[in-house]
Amino acid sequence: MVHISDGVLAPEVWIAGYMVTGVLLAWTLRKMRAYDIPRLSIITAAVFVASLIHIPIGPTSAHFVLNGFAGVMLGIFSYPSIFIALTLQALLFQHGGITTIGINTVNMGVPALVAHGIFKLGSTTKIQRKEELFGAFAGGAAVFLAVVLLSVALLTTGREFEKVVMLIAAAHVPIILIEAIAVGSIIAFLKKVKPEIIGVKA
Amino acid sequence: MIQYPEIDRYSALSSPIHDWDPRVKLVSILILIFSIVLLYDLKLAFIGLIVAVIMLFISKIPLRFVGVYLKWVSFFILPFFLIMPFTVQGTELYRFHVLSVTYEGVTYALLICVRAFSAALLIFPMIGTMKFGTTIKALESLKVPNKLVQMVMFTYRYIFVLTSELQSMLRSMNSRGFAMRLSMQTPRTLGKAIGMLFVRSYERSERVYNAMVSRGYVGNIRTSHPFKLRDKDWLKAFPVIGIAIGLHCFAGIV
Repeated sequence: MVHISDGVLAPEVWIAGYMVTGVLLAWTLRKMRAYDIPRLSIITAAVFVASLIHIPIGPTSAHFVLNGFAGVMLGIFSYPSIFIALTLQALLFQHGGITTIGINTVNMGVPALVAHGIFKLGSTTKIQRKEELFGAFAGGAAVFLAVVLLSVALLTTGREFEKVVMLIAAAHVPIILIEAIAVGSIIAFLKKVKPEIIGVKA
Repeated sequence: MIQYPEIDRYSALSSPIHDWDPRVKLVSILILIFSIVLLYDLKLAFIGLIVAVIMLFISKIPLRFVGVYLKWVSFFILPFFLIMPFTVQGTELYRFHVLSVTYEGVTYALLICVRAFSAALLIFPMIGTMKFGTTIKALESLKVPNKLVQMVMFTYRYIFVLTSELQSMLRSMNSRGFAMRLSMQTPRTLGKAIGMLFVRSYERSERVYNAMVSRGYVGNIRTSHPFKLRDKDWLKAFPVIGIAIGLHCFAGIV
């Protein structure tokens, strides 16, 4: 998954990104308690590290995004978690930009919140293996939505980006599939090994 | 293999930027980054790039080290550079059969490229000239919300712990015959490994936190070297912020 770097977007777009992120951060941080912080941080770090694994696809490679998984694990706190992960990626690896931290957090964090909703809805149903199924769906949907939001951010900047957006979107199709399989598999594993982490009763 | 973050590898060098007060350094260079990203004139953006390169040279951070880190920016910028010269409407520069390169397309792509690289280069003098712990302490004294500062601090520390954990897990998977390839099985197996990573880290986080609280941790960061502002810290801020504002005063004239 690519994050938008500095210097590409129109100022209106990244300023709007900072505004949305500011509001969502203020809301979620107020709900966060002091003893949540270490747990949230270690999961943030785990998502950060896991997303550095690369799977080769032809000449290029794909890596896990795991924003949907963060949503499933952390609920609304996935938003600050993704904000921190993206800030660190921009500072430590120059992946993404400084001015675009706000909009990149919207692109990844809002789908995480949606994934949280999907998984929560799914766990009220009575389908067999619902955690794996809805986990995979939430994981894939979160990446798909992230690509949609990324495309919107680029297209509102200018019509000139149309072809670039098409290229970026096409490149993400395999990533969505890989992500769905991986998130389904992580959740199936956690359900067997340590169900309380994902809020499932043993 | 997974890479450790080592942006502060050259924080022990000595240069005027290294001994600049961390808070003033962060704020000044951030203002410069925002200023350059907001430029619309290609010539002014080039001046911004030159300023970024000069600051990188002053900081003495080796170019070879910086080059490796520019991979992601280049990766993101490349499609713009390959496509936009052909798709943006405007005055034609060259023509190959059906494709035509336009002046507007080339300048737009160059502008994006120059702004992106200037911002990425400036991160090195800003962050790479001090220990990351110092950066976190500076964020705290700049009144960034305490919960965010704590999350940055914990997450940063855990990245190293979990990277080495995941590296050893991948190594043992490889020795048992696992190979990274594009198949249904690869993401499934990796998913299980990542699940294990979460299980292992989950309980550790609570043990560490309890240990910290019992030793008197209340959420603020203590260091043995409190920051002290000197006149020369302000003196260094003056040209940097001056350039940031100056670029936009010129933008009005050009």
